[in-house]
Amino acid sequence: MRVVTRALVTYVLPPVIACALVLAFWEFYIAWKDVHIIVMPAPSDVAERFIEDPEFFAREAMWTLYEATLGLLLGSLAAILLAAVMAHSRTVERTVFPLAIIAKVTPLVAIAPVLVIVLGFGTTPKVVVAALLSFFPMLVNALTGFRDVNTGSLEFMRSMRASTWAIFSKLRWPSAQPYLFAALRITYPLALIGAVVAEWFTGDRGLGVVIYVANANLDTPTLFASIAVLAFIGIVINVALSLLERRVLFWHESVRTTH
Amino acid sequence: MAVVQNHVSLSGLSHVFEDGRAPLRVLDNLTFSVPRGRFLSIIGPSGCGKSTLLRAIGGLLHPSEGVVSVDGEQPGRAQGRRDVGFVFQDPSLLPWRSVIANVRLPLEIAGNGRVDNADPDAVLEMVGLADFRNYYPHQLSGGMQQRVALARAIVFDPSLLLMDEPFGALDEITRSAMRYELLRIWQSQAPAAERRTVVFVTHSVAEAVAVSDRVIVLSKQPGRIVADVDIELPRPRTEEAERTQPFLDYTNHLRDVLRAAA
Repeated sequence: MRVVTRALVTYVLPPVIACALVLAFWEFYIAWKDVHIIVMPAPSDVAERFIEDPEFFAREAMWTLYEATLGLLLGSLAAILLAAVMAHSRTVERTVFPLAIIAKVTPLVAIAPVLVIVLGFGTTPKVVVAALLSFFPMLVNALTGFRDVNTGSLEFMRSMRASTWAIFSKLRWPSAQPYLFAALRITYPLALIGAVVAEWFTGDRGLGVVIYVANANLDTPTLFASIAVLAFIGIVINVALSLLERRVLFWHESVRTTH
Repeated sequence: MAVVQNHVSLSGLSHVFEDGRAPLRVLDNLTFSVPRGRFLSIIGPSGCGKSTLLRAIGGLLHPSEGVVSVDGEQPGRAQGRRDVGFVFQDPSLLPWRSVIANVRLPLEIAGNGRVDNADPDAVLEMVGLADFRNYYPHQLSGGMQQRVALARAIVFDPSLLLMDEPFGALDEITRSAMRYELLRIWQSQAPAAERRTVVFVTHSVAEAVAVSDRVIVLSKQPGRIVADVDIELPRPRTEEAERTQPFLDYTNHLRDVLRAAA
């Protein structure tokens, strides 16, 4: 119990106080300068809008989260499979890597309208944009992870005449776990951004649509409430990944040294 | 079927590393044999090719010239029969696997049907770590980790054990205890004729004399045999014996040879 209290005081209290200070200053500033709600809503306006219809925000958020998560999973899966092949063949790496870099440096906002034309207005273009954004960081991390194995362990497995598959499944895959987690921390928020941006162009539902419509209507409380919900989702994902990482990577220095 | 007298034989073995800027000759014309059940140490200055030699015997490396045979065959054959165990200086345990799962790793690699006579728990008991079977490597000391690596190497009960400076990373006290622990495990296979053949690479003269039946000294690069000394000290060896005159005579002699070779 005391440990829990101490953890709350150490890790939760400082950011909560910082947030409260920022919100208080914001509220005070709006009232003081008498800023019009069309320009900038006060935190109390935003909270009021959210409390008015929390189901609405939850429902739209679930769509965006669904698209982002599906895209993340598909993009990560493709990246991990490709990285596994690249880790064993420099030829494949040299062939595919430039293509992956082209996909990475092309701006998302430039691709999104094209995807709408090609893929229509359903869930597919959002999932594809989220997958595209997830792909590259996962590819680079997985490739590094599969290659960054303890040379002694590799030598031992070779001395046991382990097959390429045995070396991959028993050594390379577990060794890559810290890299895959590091990638997820980058790609999950990216996938969310991707889903929201894709919704701007094509959407009939999701937080991206809510933001787009609210922006057109100068409905700033709805706009800010949506942004706050997106931020909250981001925090929840981050915390969930941290907890999962602690369980899965119990053996890794990065987790052990923070106990 | 011909009776194979020597477990390991080398004939005219040389090795040149070609991948650097200039070819690097590390081993030069080595010829020697190890009878079955003997404990041989190879000692020499850093970079004399000790590890390369061990890798050639283990079939991890094809020598540029000369022939290595294990049981009268290519080293790869003995390795394929799981008849060779390796222990490296770095224990190289898999950190996400418990102690027992690490010892079981070679059995999993070998697949089903080849593991009938292997008992990971018995091997763990032999190295004195039965109580730590469910611990993880990061919870163990360096000496204990190296014992797990030894258990992992002998889980198939190989007749040839290759050890590459296995205690090199340990502190002096642990290191000294580990050599008698190794001897205890080695001697637990009675009669002596059925003991494992051990090829033990080290850069500690005292360690080599304490454990071995025979010590081969290599010169600095490229490694040539500069001395081949039988250690005729009685077994079982004890730590106290390291203070006796015969022991000191051997170590003094080997140190002189090493100094001349370096």
